Amino acid sequence: MWELLARSLEASTIFLFAALGELINQRAGVLNVGLEGLMLFGGTAAFITAQATGSYPLGFLAGLAIGGLLGLAHGFFSITLRGDQVVSGMGLWILSFGLTTYLGNPHTGPLGLARITNFFGLSPFFVLGVVLVGITWFLLFRTTQGLAIRSVGENPAAAEASGISVTAVRYACVLCGGVLAGLSGAAYTLSYNPVWNYNFLMGWGFVSLALVFFSMWNPWILLAGASLFGIMWQLSLSPELVLPGVLSRYVWRMVPFAITIPILSVISTPWFRRRWGLARPEALGRPYEKS
Amino acid sequence: MPKTLHLPPADPILVARALTKRFPGVLALDHVDVEFQEREIHAILGQNGAGKTTLMNILFGLVQPDEGALFLRGQQVEFRSPHDALAHGIGMVHQTRRLVSAHTVLENIVLGHPRVRGFLNLRSVAPEVEGLCNKYGFTVDLAARVWQLPEGERQWVEILKALYRGAQVLILDEPTSALTPPEVKTLLAGLQALVRDQGVTILLVTHKLPIVLAASHRVTVLRSGKVVARVRTGEATEEMLVRHMIGRDIVARTGKRSIEAGPPLLQVDHLSVVNDKGQPALQDVSFSLREGEILGVAGVTGNGQDELAQVLAGLRDAVSGTVRFKDRDVTRLSPLARWRMGMGYVPAERVEVASIAAFSLVENTALNYHFDPAFARRGLLDDAGLEQLTRNIISCYEVKTPTARTRAQHLSGGNLQKLILGRVLSRKPRLLIAHLPTQGLDVEAAAFVRAALLDAKADGAAILLISEDLDEILSLADWVAPIYEGRFGGVLPRAEADIETIGAMMAGLSAKEVRAQ
Amino acid sequence: MRLGRYDVTLEPRTTRPAFYSALTAVGAILLALALASVLFLSAQTPLLDAYRAIFSYAFFNPNGLLATIHRSIYLLLCTYAFLVPLRAGLWNIGLPGQVYAGGIAAFAIPFVFRTQESQTLSLPPVFLILLMVASAAAAGAVVGGFAGVLRARFQVNEILVTMMLNSILFWLVAYMIKEGGPFMSPRGEGESFALPPPLHAPLLWGVPFTAVLALGAAVFLDILFAKTPLGYRIRAFGQNPAAARYGGIIPLALSLFVFLLGGGFAGLAGYHYFAALPGVYKISGNYGYFGDLSFYGIISALIARGSSLGAVPIAVLFAGLSLGARFAQGQLRLPFGVDYALLGLLMMTFVASHVLYQFRVAWRRVPSPTLRPAPTQLPPG
Repeated sequence: MWELLARSLEASTIFLFAALGELINQRAGVLNVGLEGLMLFGGTAAFITAQATGSYPLGFLAGLAIGGLLGLAHGFFSITLRGDQVVSGMGLWILSFGLTTYLGNPHTGPLGLARITNFFGLSPFFVLGVVLVGITWFLLFRTTQGLAIRSVGENPAAAEASGISVTAVRYACVLCGGVLAGLSGAAYTLSYNPVWNYNFLMGWGFVSLALVFFSMWNPWILLAGASLFGIMWQLSLSPELVLPGVLSRYVWRMVPFAITIPILSVISTPWFRRRWGLARPEALGRPYEKS
Repeated sequence: MPKTLHLPPADPILVARALTKRFPGVLALDHVDVEFQEREIHAILGQNGAGKTTLMNILFGLVQPDEGALFLRGQQVEFRSPHDALAHGIGMVHQTRRLVSAHTVLENIVLGHPRVRGFLNLRSVAPEVEGLCNKYGFTVDLAARVWQLPEGERQWVEILKALYRGAQVLILDEPTSALTPPEVKTLLAGLQALVRDQGVTILLVTHKLPIVLAASHRVTVLRSGKVVARVRTGEATEEMLVRHMIGRDIVARTGKRSIEAGPPLLQVDHLSVVNDKGQPALQDVSFSLREGEILGVAGVTGNGQDELAQVLAGLRDAVSGTVRFKDRDVTRLSPLARWRMGMGYVPAERVEVASIAAFSLVENTALNYHFDPAFARRGLLDDAGLEQLTRNIISCYEVKTPTARTRAQHLSGGNLQKLILGRVLSRKPRLLIAHLPTQGLDVEAAAFVRAALLDAKADGAAILLISEDLDEILSLADWVAPIYEGRFGGVLPRAEADIETIGAMMAGLSAKEVRAQ
Repeated sequence: MRLGRYDVTLEPRTTRPAFYSALTAVGAILLALALASVLFLSAQTPLLDAYRAIFSYAFFNPNGLLATIHRSIYLLLCTYAFLVPLRAGLWNIGLPGQVYAGGIAAFAIPFVFRTQESQTLSLPPVFLILLMVASAAAAGAVVGGFAGVLRARFQVNEILVTMMLNSILFWLVAYMIKEGGPFMSPRGEGESFALPPPLHAPLLWGVPFTAVLALGAAVFLDILFAKTPLGYRIRAFGQNPAAARYGGIIPLALSLFVFLLGGGFAGLAGYHYFAALPGVYKISGNYGYFGDLSFYGIISALIARGSSLGAVPIAVLFAGLSLGARFAQGQLRLPFGVDYALLGLLMMTFVASHVLYQFRVAWRRVPSPTLRPAPTQLPPG
């Protein structure tokens, strides 16, 4: 049972890193629906690099770098060109999906390196995740930079009139989001499940995106949500630990995705929406035009 | 009129020379020279589109000029962003609120301040800000969230914010547009105190003559991007300023007071509506309207006018109460059915709601005709018919456009509004809801729109006119209903409605209280 | 951005000549092919051979051409599945899920009527085939419509819902055809049972009748959007939902309609690929590949900028390219997934071409600072 929990928490960090990054750039008003693409590419780059060099640090570095690069590309399209953020995000996803399938294919199979050891049975990534959540919370709510970020996401015109560069803040946040997404992908391919397969995420990135909405843009709620999801996910992979013999394992694989839908709907009911609506960055998804 | 300022002739504190700015398709500023003295209230007067906001944006660093230079205290300066302007002591309070409504007053005031860096220790900063408030004589709750504050107080928060940054020159862009008459008085008194006691220089940008005459020391008049006059307010008259603003005299047409109105067309009883945040927006509103009558709803935006227009148009549900139109209960009727029944609606947001920017003018006409059997034959839209109709509208309403197939986004504000009005009126509605129909229009276009409304009234339509412009309402309406926090202060016949009474009721006093004064 | 003495900015275009769509579309495709050349070069394949192999197989080889046509039908239907909601401003990326649903529903008919074995047919085959088509379309429509309702009624992001549905339906198919699921083939090879010959889709010159459906859809959609009130309402809603509501359009009904129609097309695509393709006639173990292929529909619709007739040549081209690439991959020993890579590249170049479509590069000479003396008194106004 402890094994299952540890593994669940490791799974939850994959959601957590990506969702945390997305939370940061959404707080600044930039929506990136192509999160899954950044995770795929980061993970693939990390895997290939680690396998080629035999070094975990280099692998992670590659994943972070690619994630950051793609994040900046999304930023360029959304911030400088003021394009439709959904188009850009979707574009990055399909781009990554296509290219990683091609680039990663020769590397299909196990990583072949020694597994990363656990901290007293807990994945080091989980610890890192909790630390990052704390840092993010502190940054957003206890520093002036955080006030600036939140203001940019609520009313960029107000921030600009206060002497803050909306462009600089948004680029910084989108870079953060990209790097964390890359970290998430790298953690998947190098630690959680070090076997490369095409489309290895199978929709996790979108679940992370949903988690950001669920969390009402609060890092601690996000941590809770990601943990719950990690547990649910791990259960769906090995249901026989809890409910042996009930239903085909394929049906169990459906469960995490199926649960997301009613949660998303509940979140949209008027009661919830009023509380939630107040937390949503008002300028989310809207391009900012200096006037 | 204020006493003329007796000051030793000082060097001007802020000077602009030959400022020029071009936007795609329009020359916003054409070699503008302006000069501002220290410790004065200087009004920049001009109608909508004259270039006032562009000029101020340049002074504040939001926009860079194509040509020209700025001099602050004799030194040439260049502002690449508001950050530079603020660092040099220039602050701006914009026409549209630039506050983060979800954050507290304190958070808004300290946002972006160079001294408050790193850890956000609001508790340590609060006493300093409070001291500032007291110094300038403003009382506002620092911990309140901005969305909870009334419009007048929000304005003060923005002024405080600029002062906290050390602004010596304060630019106010149309500061009175969203204030009730009493709030305007408070603001002007406060500004005069700031100049007198604290040595601040104030640039007041407005198109409202009474404000200029009441509060400023000197006036610079802009027209079509050029400076056309510089006068001392003491030496100026209203007619002279109007002539400078528009280049000629305009005679406004007023409505005929027709008492022979027809049977009641619209009957609203105890209508209550909730806004998007769940708060009551309209409370227990009742009135009736007959054919050929204009009811003017006078109030500052934010008191329920949006919700009133929307609930009558079917775009918002009522919590309680009834709406009867042509003797039918239409409270739950869909917007489409209301169009079919003869209701017409001209929304306040002409670009966001009333038209589709990327569509051609013909396709925009279809917005009110796509359901009309006369224009849909055998399942296909009658494109030729719509084009003909659009051409008629264009010529009748003097809409300046290259063709009927031009996209709506290429039309200027005034022409777009005329097109929308023409489109709605072409359906010959029995009831017209006109929400802020002349907002942001230049004097000519506004006069045209008002004349069109009067023509519709002469045809027998009932019009609900929702406006912030008291003069407009008083010149057009048969009945006046001041609205405040979702309630009608009363429905007064025009004869009994004068500016003081209406102004007071817009600020919340009931009719009885006003009469008692 | 400053370059020397010039200020370079991107300005939105105010006018766009009519041929611009076509120009930028062609540009995007050519650029993607050029980038794909980099992939070929890195695999040490002579470029000319690679392209010759791709095009000659796709369009000049009798087997290849037939395969291209079959895939074109599939891609065209997928394109329309994405295109209809796109015109309404909604993103239907649930194409794979709806395709799977269509496949399951189509195979449910022989399952329900117990006609897996070719001998016992209780009803005339034509009737059963029509039933299969209808149920495939209906299933796709229901799956799509579900997302549409959630979007309209609860404002739930349709991207999230459709992606969840993709995963759910993917596993549902796995359940149905593997490890003892109801549709599993008697030989138990992780695929569905094969359709009995009478239920194979009728062919016209070797092409399934679904070609007629696809082309008919092209014409139907073109008329719908250009000329009908309903098409107008969809376009208006896509451009400006608030204005559409003002004009009397009902968001719930419209969102539901476009997702039903879009989902229906995807369901038909599922019928086509699993039940109508000569030589296949089953849900194979690698059904996921066909689900992934449906994403080409997204690209086609985007590059065609919503034009249903314009999508036809584009879908045919992509069908040929992806098939040819697969073939060339085998023949020229390229790494697996050239067709996937091409998909990704096309998306990238589309976004780039979209930028050019919306903006133009503007050069402006930076004025030298005016050399004016210190300010003197202004003439009295």
